[in-house]
Amino acid sequence: MSFDFSLIIDSIPKMLMGLGLTLQLLFISAVLGLALAVVLLLMRISGRWYLVWPSVTYIYIFRGTPILVQIFIIYYGLPQFEFIRDSILWPILREPFGCAILALSMNTGAYVSEILRGGILGVDRGLHEAGAALGLSVRQRFVYITSPIAIRLAIPAYSNDIISLMKSTALASTITLLDMMGIARTIVAETYAPYEIFISLAAIYMVLTWLAQKGFGRFEMRMSRYVKP
Amino acid sequence: MAAIAGWWDDFFWGSVVVLQVFVTALILMVLFGLIGAAAKLSKNRVAQNLAAAYTVVFRGVPEILVLLLIYFGSAILLTSIAQIFDPSIKFVDLPPFWAGSFGIALIVGSYATETFRGAFLGVDRGLIEAARALGISNFKTFIYIQIPEMWRLALPAFGNHMLSLIKDTALISIIGLNETMFVAQQATGTTGKPFTMYIVVGGIYLAFSTVITLTVMVLEKYANQHLEPAR
Amino acid sequence: MADNSQQPIILLEDVDKFFGTFQALRNVNLRVNKGEKIVVCGPSGSGKSTMIRCINRLEEHDGGRITINGHELTSDVKDIDAVRREVGMVFQSFNLFPHLSVIKNLMLAPRLVRKADKAEARATAMRLLERVRIPEQADKYPSQLSGGQQQRVAIARALCMNPEIMLFDEPTSALDPEMISEVLDVMIDLANEGMTMIVVTHEMGFARSVANKVVFMDGGEIVEENTPAAFFDNPQHQRTKLFLSQIISH
Repeated sequence: MSFDFSLIIDSIPKMLMGLGLTLQLLFISAVLGLALAVVLLLMRISGRWYLVWPSVTYIYIFRGTPILVQIFIIYYGLPQFEFIRDSILWPILREPFGCAILALSMNTGAYVSEILRGGILGVDRGLHEAGAALGLSVRQRFVYITSPIAIRLAIPAYSNDIISLMKSTALASTITLLDMMGIARTIVAETYAPYEIFISLAAIYMVLTWLAQKGFGRFEMRMSRYVKP
Repeated sequence: MAAIAGWWDDFFWGSVVVLQVFVTALILMVLFGLIGAAAKLSKNRVAQNLAAAYTVVFRGVPEILVLLLIYFGSAILLTSIAQIFDPSIKFVDLPPFWAGSFGIALIVGSYATETFRGAFLGVDRGLIEAARALGISNFKTFIYIQIPEMWRLALPAFGNHMLSLIKDTALISIIGLNETMFVAQQATGTTGKPFTMYIVVGGIYLAFSTVITLTVMVLEKYANQHLEPAR
Repeated sequence: MADNSQQPIILLEDVDKFFGTFQALRNVNLRVNKGEKIVVCGPSGSGKSTMIRCINRLEEHDGGRITINGHELTSDVKDIDAVRREVGMVFQSFNLFPHLSVIKNLMLAPRLVRKADKAEARATAMRLLERVRIPEQADKYPSQLSGGQQQRVAIARALCMNPEIMLFDEPTSALDPEMISEVLDVMIDLANEGMTMIVVTHEMGFARSVANKVVFMDGGEIVEENTPAAFFDNPQHQRTKLFLSQIISH
């Protein structure tokens, strides 16, 4: 069993060319997902049944099914319908990139909204009451008291979700996208050297994960500067 | 909807495969998680570092990559080993079922390591001290006091691990396992209705995850019943 | 309309409160005149906290009427907001906002609710911090202060809204013994300046020196109500006598 180092040195730069696409998938989905998460959250805690139920159902479906299935439904499944093919969204939905972004955003949106909700639930009830006793309205309490504290509480779980999202971008390779994983699989198909290629790719991902964790750790420390150690 | 008609059978058997993978991986996952937690908690530096490496690797690498690595990597490894014994052997590989189950168990097991470790540390010191003060042996304290407490603390996160596990089974189709995703792909080929087929797959997984969630809810109630305050 | 000086600032009439099937308040009647200091005492679960929390609508009463400074307390948000502007509350667990500095804790409500501008709010806040004797802590965060200091900040925060009435829900129960007096001193100053106060507490020394009336509650009812001297030296009811014997025997 030989270990072809020259192949690794050759392939890493090629795989890194996919880094741009990986990061695009990551950032765009993260931002869209966060926006979606906030909307879902506000619907979930609104107390009005016609907002709560759709939100709960959406979250339930997107957390209860594998992301690969979601990607396939959007990329392979939607073109089944004529009205999709005729719609103005078709240019986006026709492309694997658009489908990947859509699937990843919708998926992460569901998870992040539950993470934010967990943060909100973690805020001490007494702080709510103090705000109420001072005469702050419900909206004011939510904006000035609950949200800052909830965000800080949600950071660890949120950072985990972003790392998960980064790993999920690799699934875009199953719908022909040439992100790092996609390029790697192409190289493997040509060289029949899965071991070397995949191990080096794994190393690249581990470095990215490590960077992300360090970054979030810094962020959490900054947000927690007022908390008793 | 008539398109699905001929395929229910195949989907059923595909679901059975998913279930088989799930159970296999679950057992392995608990094993890996406990071993990892024990290693992290032990005083042995080597064990601690190995366990740390384990969690870092399997939490930092995409699941699909792990599966591809294990599937191809094990083939290379096993072929090399087999060739030592019988040089005429060209190729030995691990069936996707085993490569896949092992793979997802390793992945989720790395998260379970943290869960079990946290649950173990979360058991109130006071309870252990009280048991020892009563004369109960180390071993008995572990079995009768620590384990039930750990189980109660770990349960919510463990439920999440089970959900991750069942959803990760879908990835094994990429390395060729004949389960629901695979059936959907074939069905799409003949019926030309990908949306319908993949929705069925989605529905199957939704059903599985619902059952798991409900089971965990029941188990949580059972584990926490002694904590209800007296009225 | 009745003569203003005779109209009570707080009036509870036949108030009931249920938590599910459990009756926490039973036919509670209470009159508090402007400038009076009322101490409420009683065993755990007697309803004392529930009663004062009904006064600023942190709990909703199920029966009877509560009238604060002429406003009847109903489920109408406008009524609730009007009442909360006039009633300040100090909690057992302080409830300072951990993500805001001390001075920001004090400035938040005046700016949001009374629409005060920044300079005005800051001036008021500093004035009140001096009144509770910790102006130097203005830029610190709550987690950096001792319990006694935190509670004094909490009192200052409530006073920043310029309330007519101050409610105290066991303000010293969560404090270490050596910090209790610094908080009680602030409360005594407040009392001497004429603030209307309802204080739920076990600090009987405070009751004796400051209160106009002591109210004893048990099982959701007001069992006995009297001036401090009469209350402590000549309790009328069996339950009152039992309670007093239990707390004094420590």
